[in-house]
Amino acid sequence: MAETLTSRPTLADADAHQAHAHIDADTNTGISNTKLGMWLFLASECLLFGGLITTYLLYRRPLEGPTPDEIFDIPFTSTSSFVLLMSSLTMVLAVSAIERGEHQRMRVWLGATAVLGATFMAGQIYEFTVFAREGLGFTTSRFSSAFFTLTGFHGIHVTVGIIMLVSVVLLSLRGKIPEHKAESVEIVGLYWHFVDVVWVVIFAVVYLIPT
Amino acid sequence: MTITSHDDVPTTVLDGAVKDYSRDKVYVLTAIFLAVLTVIEVFTYTAPDFPLWAEELLIPVLMILMAVKLFTILYIFMHLKFDKPILTRIFYSGLLLAMFVYIAMLAAFRFWF
Repeated sequence: MAETLTSRPTLADADAHQAHAHIDADTNTGISNTKLGMWLFLASECLLFGGLITTYLLYRRPLEGPTPDEIFDIPFTSTSSFVLLMSSLTMVLAVSAIERGEHQRMRVWLGATAVLGATFMAGQIYEFTVFAREGLGFTTSRFSSAFFTLTGFHGIHVTVGIIMLVSVVLLSLRGKIPEHKAESVEIVGLYWHFVDVVWVVIFAVVYLIPT
Repeated sequence: MTITSHDDVPTTVLDGAVKDYSRDKVYVLTAIFLAVLTVIEVFTYTAPDFPLWAEELLIPVLMILMAVKLFTILYIFMHLKFDKPILTRIFYSGLLLAMFVYIAMLAAFRFWF
């Protein structure tokens, strides 16, 4: 069925200058099914990470091997946390850019987000390598198993997020993300911000609270 | 102009259409606020004797800072503040269910005793 170019409003068309700008989808809730699905997925992820964090809390006092207080390098992890936090800013600026129809700027911000995410992952791999060298392997103690499982799962989520970001940049370069599909960038952004939210909790509960 | 499929919409139709976007300033200020909270969190480690978070106060202070950061990201960066309330309810359902289940689990394992 033919449709006019202006039949699908974008955020920039509507009221982008307003603080509460959003477009209603053609669904009962006014929210697109994709976005609703992503929020349901993120709600279910709370249960996954809640379980992993709870397990860590129960097992964080090791019966053998190094203790968390002996092995954690807080200044290094703080820097990694800051990097991930700033990636949330670049992500939200990318969403903002596509809402205005600025594709080039969106790609730059998405690229910056992916680079910051990769920097965080490089830091995590370095941290794991140092721990292994100091005698803390996955099966060394109940603490190490719980710690590596929790931070490893988070790392997998960051890696998936980086793949999604790179995919969106490539799709955009091929002209596959016009303004009326800007929501796909927002949905990738939701996932990325959630990964940041999880790290906010991990950083406080795992690294900063002393055993 | 008429088109026959969504893929036919040119990607540059709105390029530069909106020059000033006031929400960007909110995002940058939010990031600065989050960075300041992170610095305070790190201070609890580097200066553990500071009266605001000395001894028993440390864990409550860290939990408050963590919660403020978490909800700031949820409401500003993830747009819960600007979006439909149903999304907030959906996410809180998962969050509260997780908290209830795992607090019960910690209680069962006598975590606090």
